[in-house]
Amino acid sequence: MINAVLVFNNSGQPRLTKFYTQLETSVQQRLISEIFILVNARSPGSCNFLPLPPLLTPTTAPSSSNDVPSLVTYRHYATLFFIIISTSTESPLALIDLIQVYVEALDRLFENVCELDLIFNFETLHAVLAEMVVGGVVIETGLEKVVEGVRAQGKVAKRPVNEGMGGRGAMGSMGGNFGWAGR
Amino acid sequence: MVWWGKLVSTSSSPTWASKPPNIPKRCSKPTSSPTHCRWTHHRAFSPKGNGSSGSVDQAVSTFMFEKSLYDLIRGLRNHKGNEKEYIQNSLKECRAEIKGQDMDLKATALLKLIYLEMFGHDMSWASFHVLEVMSSAKYLQKRVGYLGAVQSFRPDTEVLMLATNLLKKDLTSTSANTMSLPIITLPHIITPSLALSVLSDLLPRLTHSHPTIRKKTIVTLYRLALVYPETLRPAWPKIKERLMDEGEDPSVTSAIVNVVCELGWRRPHDFLPLAPRLFELLVDSGNNWMAIKLIKLFATLTPLEPRLVKKLLPPLTTIIRTTPAMSLLYECINGIIQGGILGSSDESAGGEEIATLCVSKLRGMIMVEGDPNLKYVALLAFNKIVVTHPFLVAQQEDVIMDCIDSPDISIRLRALDLVVGMVSNDNLMSIVGRLMRQLRNSRSPTSEEVNKRVSTGMVEPAADSDDEDPEIAIKNDKGVSQETLLPDEYKVDVINRILEMCSGNNYGNLVDFDWYIDILIQLVRNSPVSRSSLSQDVDSRRGDSSSTDVSGKVGNELRNVAVKVKAIRLQAARAAESILMSTFNDNSASLNPANGALRPIAWMVGEYATSLESPDAALTALLHISKGSVPAEGLALPKVFSLLTSEDSAAWTPERKTMISLLMARIIHTLEPLAMHPDLEVQERAVEFAELLKLAAEASAGQAASTNEIQQDSPLLLTQAIPSLFTGVELNSVAVGAQKNVPIPIGLDLDQPINLNLNNLLRAVESASFDEPDQDEFETYYHQAPPPVPSVNEPAINRLGTPEEVVHSYQQGSEESYLDPDIVARRRAERLERNKDDPFYIAPTESSGRSTPLHNILQSNNGPDLDLDAIPIMQLDLEKTKLSTSPPKKPKVSKVRHRIQVAADETLGTSGTSTPQNDDSEASLEGASQRPKPKGKHSLLQVDSSHIGTFSLEGDGSSNGRDDFEAQQREEAEMAKAMKEVERLRLEMQRANERIQAAQGVSLEGTVVKKKTKKKPKTVDADGTVPVVKKKKAKKAVMDEGEGESSMTAEVVKPKKKKKKPKVEEEHGVQEGS
Repeated sequence: MINAVLVFNNSGQPRLTKFYTQLETSVQQRLISEIFILVNARSPGSCNFLPLPPLLTPTTAPSSSNDVPSLVTYRHYATLFFIIISTSTESPLALIDLIQVYVEALDRLFENVCELDLIFNFETLHAVLAEMVVGGVVIETGLEKVVEGVRAQGKVAKRPVNEGMGGRGAMGSMGGNFGWAGR
Repeated sequence: MVWWGKLVSTSSSPTWASKPPNIPKRCSKPTSSPTHCRWTHHRAFSPKGNGSSGSVDQAVSTFMFEKSLYDLIRGLRNHKGNEKEYIQNSLKECRAEIKGQDMDLKATALLKLIYLEMFGHDMSWASFHVLEVMSSAKYLQKRVGYLGAVQSFRPDTEVLMLATNLLKKDLTSTSANTMSLPIITLPHIITPSLALSVLSDLLPRLTHSHPTIRKKTIVTLYRLALVYPETLRPAWPKIKERLMDEGEDPSVTSAIVNVVCELGWRRPHDFLPLAPRLFELLVDSGNNWMAIKLIKLFATLTPLEPRLVKKLLPPLTTIIRTTPAMSLLYECINGIIQGGILGSSDESAGGEEIATLCVSKLRGMIMVEGDPNLKYVALLAFNKIVVTHPFLVAQQEDVIMDCIDSPDISIRLRALDLVVGMVSNDNLMSIVGRLMRQLRNSRSPTSEEVNKRVSTGMVEPAADSDDEDPEIAIKNDKGVSQETLLPDEYKVDVINRILEMCSGNNYGNLVDFDWYIDILIQLVRNSPVSRSSLSQDVDSRRGDSSSTDVSGKVGNELRNVAVKVKAIRLQAARAAESILMSTFNDNSASLNPANGALRPIAWMVGEYATSLESPDAALTALLHISKGSVPAEGLALPKVFSLLTSEDSAAWTPERKTMISLLMARIIHTLEPLAMHPDLEVQERAVEFAELLKLAAEASAGQAASTNEIQQDSPLLLTQAIPSLFTGVELNSVAVGAQKNVPIPIGLDLDQPINLNLNNLLRAVESASFDEPDQDEFETYYHQAPPPVPSVNEPAINRLGTPEEVVHSYQQGSEESYLDPDIVARRRAERLERNKDDPFYIAPTESSGRSTPLHNILQSNNGPDLDLDAIPIMQLDLEKTKLSTSPPKKPKVSKVRHRIQVAADETLGTSGTSTPQNDDSEASLEGASQRPKPKGKHSLLQVDSSHIGTFSLEGDGSSNGRDDFEAQQREEAEMAKAMKEVERLRLEMQRANERIQAAQGVSLEGTVVKKKTKKKPKTVDADGTVPVVKKKKAKKAVMDEGEGESSMTAEVVKPKKKKKKPKVEEEHGVQEGS
């Protein structure tokens, strides 16, 4: 199962923290910073799997139990790191895809998602995740259904845009560059 | 659903490729200027933007002076530098707002609190207000409330009790949205009592018309079952019904499969009946995620039902051959490995084919350039294969070894795991060589860097530093230190593995011990300094310093070699000496990596003092070290000292007399403070030796020195008595369990206190300050390190230029690349020495190099224009050919020379079984660190599902578990009945037997007395009722047969024994009866 889903930016500021077990706030923060240190040290060509952070390293002999979180998968998008901590019952490669679906769903909802959207609408971030993962178990991997499910809960706010700034045109053109090309 | 398959199949590159392929260029370069512009625009948005929730909007419009979430975030961004203060103020405001009456305001404040909680600001105090917001009538406010519960409720949150009714009410809401809020929240806050009370409301949701509700409910029920297994009794049949229903929404089916997969590894038996349906889903559904889960599930089922293998192989093979999704392909292979399908030998032809198919696919994955993810998972899979099919993995050694040097630490670690599993005496040296090179060519992060990283990792107040500047800084930082930086944890891991590989199987894989000792010296130098505070902490808990300190482990290893391998003892002792000397000469003793190794090394220096190069220097070093950090090493002092004094031949000259008495004074001076050492053992030894030496000092003072006229002998105490204390039976390594086999002497009572006042004494010792004597002049004079002299064993060749410098570029795989120059030089000198009589060995002397006389002549004659060095043929001169070929040749040479014998650990007792660890020295090192930890401590984040393991899903109908319990009781009752029956039969047979023997009329002895003893054991029988019956029967037997029966001695004697072991008795009974 999935033990935690984290999103933080390039300087370690959390954007989403979701732990599927109850954990003290301070421990959560420690875990986040440990993972950030690990993930920040990765070079661009590295694989998407992290060694276990010290907090999660088993103190006893490696037990065969499937309950223990043993896999930290991450993906780096622009300014954000998406991290999934899971047990060995999840497939590592599939988790990478799962993050992709999550990000794509966000992109659909926000249209050209960027970090700022997530900062101001972190509630939506939670809502999207809740459509995909409940209690650590994946319930949906279909992009359409996830998006549908979130939209059903009400209108998703766009990022705060200052219409009066006149930056619309520039952004529009930028938006053209953006948007999951190659798909 | 379909999309999942489609995405993977249509996109040109697999979706899981390491670099996010679908991210537009602008995004992948966060520091580029367009991003910059865009962020700037955003900062200037209006506060009245569309709220993410209605409540926020309302709050903004109603209370102009209250902050919305937007305002909070904007405020944070505008208060760079003093975020802390800003946050504290905001928290204060939130506190006030959330206590107010206005629900909109409450919800807004809660949302802000949740946001700040993400940055580590505790909001547990607000749990009651969370409940209030949860009970709001407006959906969007409710959602904020539930989110607050998910994010902030902890196991000790008390208001949870109050939430039960609210949850139950919302579960029965008419709106699907409202209904799903408690469903998705429950997994986070569930407790057994809460599970019990909401279960009845949750169950009907399984048949809700909306598939989203159904699938969420299924997962939530699973989480309920984890804390309250009884959930499954009513829930499982319904879930199963959903699973079997072919008309069910595919995404619901997928969710069920996910849950079943989670349950499956706990209780695979219960899911065997589902196999046909699951198989159908595997073949028919186009959902890759579900297929992966199904394969994982089947991998746990196949060991229980071998027939499944036959059924599974065709579709799996098809998938492997056809699927465009690499994740599915990988999981197929993984499933085949984990399901033990590789090993199933019945259809040998197919099995072979599939095995080679899998391995070749995995090999292909490692070889794929530019996709490290595939490398990683392939290594994971190999790690699983290596346990059962080491030969298959060994064939892939070449590609695996490449992964060891991968720049990616995740991949390295996996490869390292694998390499340890496939090491043999052929590849040991090359593997260790590679690892040594890694260690040598890397550096540990400096403390500065560590601090910097930690500080960037710390998420201080919620400043939104999404500016470009800090990002750039971080990026640059990363780039600089990327190449050579290896974390200490990794180094420690590598060192441990090297030791594990070399010493495994009682050094079975090791061919060349000289090489090993050099490796160990190098390891002592390279081992990272353990962070003292941390290790002390761990030490005090485990009471075992060697388990944490890696250099200590290396030292122990060196000592093990010295003790176990006689042939190499001299070299090992010299190595210990050289480490000791270098520690001594290196004045920054507190940070010396060799610190942990000093203890075993000092022991070696003392124990094998006769092998030392220069005992004088070693003694000085020991003296220096003993008064400092590691006082326990002082005990090696007398040993070395005794060696110095025992030289009979030396005349008792005045110089010698002065020297010896000075030495003794110094040793006594060092030992005396140790008499107050907290460790009793050290105390005792220190006092012993100090007193002994004082005696010797008196003796030597009394003995007049020999003059020119009169020849005086050295005092006997020095030449004979003291040395004889240390020469005796050789010390051998003792197996870990051997101590237990020592029989306790009869007269020894371990519980009897030796000194009733011991506690007080110990307390007195502790309170007495164990302070170090001041550095008086005496100290500084004698203990100051002399300027480092080049140690004698350093060969001259070391100072004669650096011929091996040239070699560096050639010998990728040779020792020179991972051993320090002095070690390399010594090795070369040794090699030279060894082969000096070998006419075929061409020594690498300077004269045979390029500076031949001919060369010189030519050069001087032809002038500088003609550079002979530029002629390529010169590169092939003899020296280099020799050098590059000799190292691989070497091991064989030394093998022949030494005929090395590795002593096994000594043990006591006759049966080998009593000391299971005695053949593996590594076990003794590792075992110590692992044993004390009790099992069952949960890892962080772990969701414990062990309760569910005992819960059965078998059978259908709602009374599963009760059935189970009842069945168990029935079984027990039956067993008892059967036992009674057996006992009855046995008695009957016995009586019949007695009758026969009575008829034969044997026996003379007092059988009646024995009969009495026979009665006793019967009462021991387990069942309450049986013994009574039996007793009577037995009595009857006695009465009936009278004294006639006899020769039952065998029968009669047995019960006597049985008295002691009632359990065994029943079995006896059964055996006899049947």
